[in-house]
Amino acid sequence: MAGTPLLTPAIVLGSLRYAESSRIVRLATREYGVQSAIAKGALRPRSRFGAALQLLSEGHAHLLPSRSSDLHTLVAFDLVATHSGLARNLERFGAASALAEVATRFVPPVANLALYDQLRHDVELIELAPPDAIRVVALRAMWRLIIELGLGPTVSRCVRDAVSLPAGAVALSLREGGFLCAACAGLGATTRLGPQDRADLVALLGSHLELPLLTDRQAAAHRRLLVRWIWEHLGDTSMPALESWSAARS
Amino acid sequence: MNVLETLITEFARLPGVGRKTAQRLVYHLLQQPRERMETLAAAIAGVAERVHPCAECGQPTEDAVCDICRDPRRDAGLVCVVEEPSAVAVVERSGAFRGRYVVLGGRLSPLDGIGPDALRIDLLGRRLAGGDVREVILATNSSLEGEATATYLQQVLAGHPGVRVSRLARGLPVGGELEYVDGVTLTHALTAREELR
Repeated sequence: MAGTPLLTPAIVLGSLRYAESSRIVRLATREYGVQSAIAKGALRPRSRFGAALQLLSEGHAHLLPSRSSDLHTLVAFDLVATHSGLARNLERFGAASALAEVATRFVPPVANLALYDQLRHDVELIELAPPDAIRVVALRAMWRLIIELGLGPTVSRCVRDAVSLPAGAVALSLREGGFLCAACAGLGATTRLGPQDRADLVALLGSHLELPLLTDRQAAAHRRLLVRWIWEHLGDTSMPALESWSAARS
Repeated sequence: MNVLETLITEFARLPGVGRKTAQRLVYHLLQQPRERMETLAAAIAGVAERVHPCAECGQPTEDAVCDICRDPRRDAGLVCVVEEPSAVAVVERSGAFRGRYVVLGGRLSPLDGIGPDALRIDLLGRRLAGGDVREVILATNSSLEGEATATYLQQVLAGHPGVRVSRLARGLPVGGELEYVDGVTLTHALTAREELR
């Protein structure tokens, strides 16, 4: 992407101060995946960026690509939405932060239009979900991101020998990446899911399915499972936002 | 690592200082008289030895309690909650606030691993326990993290019905021109517009 100025829809996934008045921002962009860019003078009171570079702000990024490094220059950011509603509810804020963290760490710097559109949509859903639905909306958003990264679990058949699975309880293998049939389940470490937990997980994974109703305890168990899945398949154990979200009581 | 390298590395850890700037600073120091370097070293050692958070508000002080908290002319009923000590200096410069402070030492930021336990919310609790506080001004930053911190504090303060909770107003900068104001700030300014009497 070096050389020509670029304009792309983008979401701010995080930022850190740089020098006296600048910021380095991590952006999920629609056409170029996750990119880092320096926003010079962003902290000045009369900066052209104004309030645009807040966490999870959405807009159109004007990027001047660097020829020599992967740190580009953010020339401007035309704000579309700030998602300030996330800050008015700590459950929303925690979930959206965890989603941003996973995206920052694992979305590669290449185009993935479906992933970007999904991420944008899910941030909005977390912001607007009714209070009692935030937990399931956030769980589905996280699983959708993992699926878009190509790392979703196989739940429609046995992940090892592809046989169809009978209804009822099932064994989930984190290592192998999905459900196992009874014959394969005895051959390695698995997590046993009861019929309801299985149905709830399948519902969370399928964006066309109705969201499951989860108690606090069930939601907490699903968050723990999701975090274990991320550790197994994405291999990063230092994710404070994800861990904080996973340990939340609601 | 030799002392020169160590000093460069330590300077480079400071906010806004890269390795090149750190090298420049160190080579500048090398050209100064020895006494100047010793004064700088003594000042840093003195800060490390003698400066600690004020027991009442959390801002740095050499005494057990800072000058502001000790000052009897300050309004003990008015408490301004800020994220960092640097914000105290900014509010003080305005000359418009005569109450006392609580410095949280940060803001809620899951991405940085900062939760409520990492903030000095206990200081606010202690101020409130004194029974004199009638208003708490939440002066956390106007970022998503600052707003989330204000939301959290609002929930904490809900247990104190006699205490008014307010938030710093947001809007047009004084002397600013409308055409340069971003949409978000303008929206806040319109929402919190004042009636002219």
